[in-house]
Amino acid sequence: MANRKHIIPLSRWRQLSQAVCLLLFLFLFSKTDYTGSDQLEYAVNIIFRFDPLIATAVMLAAKSVVLLLLPALILVALSLLLGRFFCGWACPLGTLIDLVHPLLKSHNPALDTRFPRLRYGILAFLLSAAFFGLPLVGYLDPFSLLVRGLTLAVEPAINHAATSFFTFTYQKAPALVNLVTEPLYDFLQATILPFSQKHYHLVYLSMAILATVFLLELNQRRFFCRNLCPLGALLGLLARFGLMNGAGGNDACGRCTTCRNICRMGAIDEQRHIDMAACTLCLECLDKCPRSTIIFNWKKPLTLQTGYSGSRRFFLGSLTAGALLPLFTNVRGLAKVTNQRLIRPPGALGEKEFLSLCVRCGECMKVCIGNTLQPVFLEAGIEGMFSPKVDSRLGYCEFNCTLCGQVCPTGAIRELQLTEKHTFKIGQAFFDKNRCLPYARGIPCMVCEEHCPTADKAIKFNETMATNDRGQQVQVKQPFVVAELCIGCGICEHKCPLPGAAAIRITNAGETRSPDKALPVASAGYG
Amino acid sequence: MDRRTFLHHVFLWTAGLTVTIPRFRVSTAFAGQSSTSRLAVGKDIDYGLLVEKTLAALNGMNAFIRPGDKVVIKPNIGWDRSPEQAANTHPLVVKALVEHALEAGAAKVQVFDRTCNEQRRCYKNSGIEDTLKGLKNKKVSLEHIDQRKFVPVDLERGKSLSRMEIYRDVLEADSYINVPVAKHHGLSRLTLGLKNSMGVIGGNRGKLHFNLGQKLADLATVVRPTLTVIDATRMLLRNGPQGGSLNDVQISNTVIASADPVAADAYATTLFGLKPEEIASTKAAYDLGLGEMTIDNLQIIEV
Repeated sequence: MANRKHIIPLSRWRQLSQAVCLLLFLFLFSKTDYTGSDQLEYAVNIIFRFDPLIATAVMLAAKSVVLLLLPALILVALSLLLGRFFCGWACPLGTLIDLVHPLLKSHNPALDTRFPRLRYGILAFLLSAAFFGLPLVGYLDPFSLLVRGLTLAVEPAINHAATSFFTFTYQKAPALVNLVTEPLYDFLQATILPFSQKHYHLVYLSMAILATVFLLELNQRRFFCRNLCPLGALLGLLARFGLMNGAGGNDACGRCTTCRNICRMGAIDEQRHIDMAACTLCLECLDKCPRSTIIFNWKKPLTLQTGYSGSRRFFLGSLTAGALLPLFTNVRGLAKVTNQRLIRPPGALGEKEFLSLCVRCGECMKVCIGNTLQPVFLEAGIEGMFSPKVDSRLGYCEFNCTLCGQVCPTGAIRELQLTEKHTFKIGQAFFDKNRCLPYARGIPCMVCEEHCPTADKAIKFNETMATNDRGQQVQVKQPFVVAELCIGCGICEHKCPLPGAAAIRITNAGETRSPDKALPVASAGYG
Repeated sequence: MDRRTFLHHVFLWTAGLTVTIPRFRVSTAFAGQSSTSRLAVGKDIDYGLLVEKTLAALNGMNAFIRPGDKVVIKPNIGWDRSPEQAANTHPLVVKALVEHALEAGAAKVQVFDRTCNEQRRCYKNSGIEDTLKGLKNKKVSLEHIDQRKFVPVDLERGKSLSRMEIYRDVLEADSYINVPVAKHHGLSRLTLGLKNSMGVIGGNRGKLHFNLGQKLADLATVVRPTLTVIDATRMLLRNGPQGGSLNDVQISNTVIASADPVAADAYATTLFGLKPEEIASTKAAYDLGLGEMTIDNLQIIEV
């Protein structure tokens, strides 16, 4: 056996670090919620601010320096010093992939990375496309992908499972059983379960994307990290030119390829050289090397080692694709007429800037206490998928809440002060008088007016005579919207008691962030 | 058979193993009501004292709670508004009632409401959560609504509604104390005690707004408060039921208490310069014989 130099194998320290980082991540994820204070104490958004991929892509897209993302420089510096350690020691997605790997182990794993150039191509494409006006980085950024999948699919499903189970025991099981299950349910609710059951559009799509990342383990270990991850590619490039060096085996190793066989990243070639652009410093090879010959140090060899040097044509091709594809975005119908039901969260920047900065992480949807923030499918174009919109039928924007602006890692939704939020118009309510009960059938209702949150209500009513559906003249209160007061929060649409579509609906007309959508003002004339 | 006995029987017969959700039949027979409804009106700037002396005028909390009782106190916590905005019951009024319930020997005091705005925000910003936590008493619980606890109840005397989902804890309580805040409401003009009981029903409440007054009266045939305490310490006069502007709030430092839910609503209506019969729910409940609404027939004790 190996003559181990360390009582505790070095890879154990790595596993400890992975566990701590994953728990920290999950802690921050579960704390991304209202907890009784208008200001959040913790949010998982911090992780996005250390992400140099997001920082680069967002700044290229916005063509400005986004101060919120400058902490990413810390990870850049650390990667220059320590190589691609982040992927092996910290990344929560990487850790989860390592955790599920034993379940999805392939019997005949491929040692060599399937598509060794692909991640660089993806990286080049994403950055180039971002610069030329098609921001897509959120689709594949590992944190976006993970937080989004957990938020939109995994957490709601877990909560639903728990609620169903404890509802069953509560209603059907003997009292004795409930002596155990009820305290357990209370405990779970107080700790890991979310406060309320959320419902999201695109739950299957989000789940499928996340699941695919894990299922790719069937093909080869850390498939996503090796072949696809654009952040991994970027950190790998830093590592390649950075200081950390791994001295692999040498001719004296003979036929032994233990290190190569166990490397989860395919970073060790047949000559047992270590490619620092791929190596995540998991240190398994160091622990398992029979001759203890592998060393990591800061002594770079005089010549750059082997490993992927990049095919210039593939790289340039990806860059060009990223530059050309955005040409089509400006000739879409969307470029002239936007979807009127695309209502963005309060504090969202103008649409183009908003999409440049939004990284589709789903944080705003996670924290939204009204469950009104929902992922967009294709209403905002191919680059808008998973960006947030307000779905007023599903939920509503809580009048005194500013959490979405607080958790947005990039400032795509800026943080509003409460007084500003109270007048920040995200849209405008319109009545459908063919359906609204007091208009259509002479039936009293006024639920919308009751819930309208502005201090001077944006929904007012006229008391008038109307014909009901039996042809009788009845006195009824008929509501109407005062455009200057309505901020589009959508509580009226959400609470409208009609089944199906509400009789009052929000559109993004008049939204504060788009001056061109301003509504006509009676005093100023129109047209 | 009262609610409690009924539930005991259900559990005995089934050994606690109910196969379906029990449907409750709540007795709607009248307990021997006195010919005149007594009603106390208190006025004071110290809300603790205010509640105390108003209750004292009705022989104190002991008249409504026996030692060992399970008590539900149901304030209005419907809105994400601060106490001074007068959309929710004042936390000090709630606190005083909870304290009196404990003094009267309550084994458990539950406080809850099914809110309109996000529930945590309502509990927090109404001031009620923090005030009750300050009591540090394990018998007191401020719980969020548990959807599993809504049970269908037949309204045998209901004219507009025949069935409703009602919160189990209210049905099981020995004493249900209804503590609305007196305020303006666009549709029903005012929201008082009968309207406040909407906070114990499940399902789509928006659908009730047609013929709301009658439906509230129907609900009152089964959800019958042992005591109604109307908080008129601050009165929201316009833009109800949630207000938002202090310009719409009038400070009145008044509390009304009565065992007769209709009488309490009727008297509170007069504080707004309206007549009791102008509030549809009061009129409908009176017509169902649930209480007295003629002010002259009330025995009013002012303190």
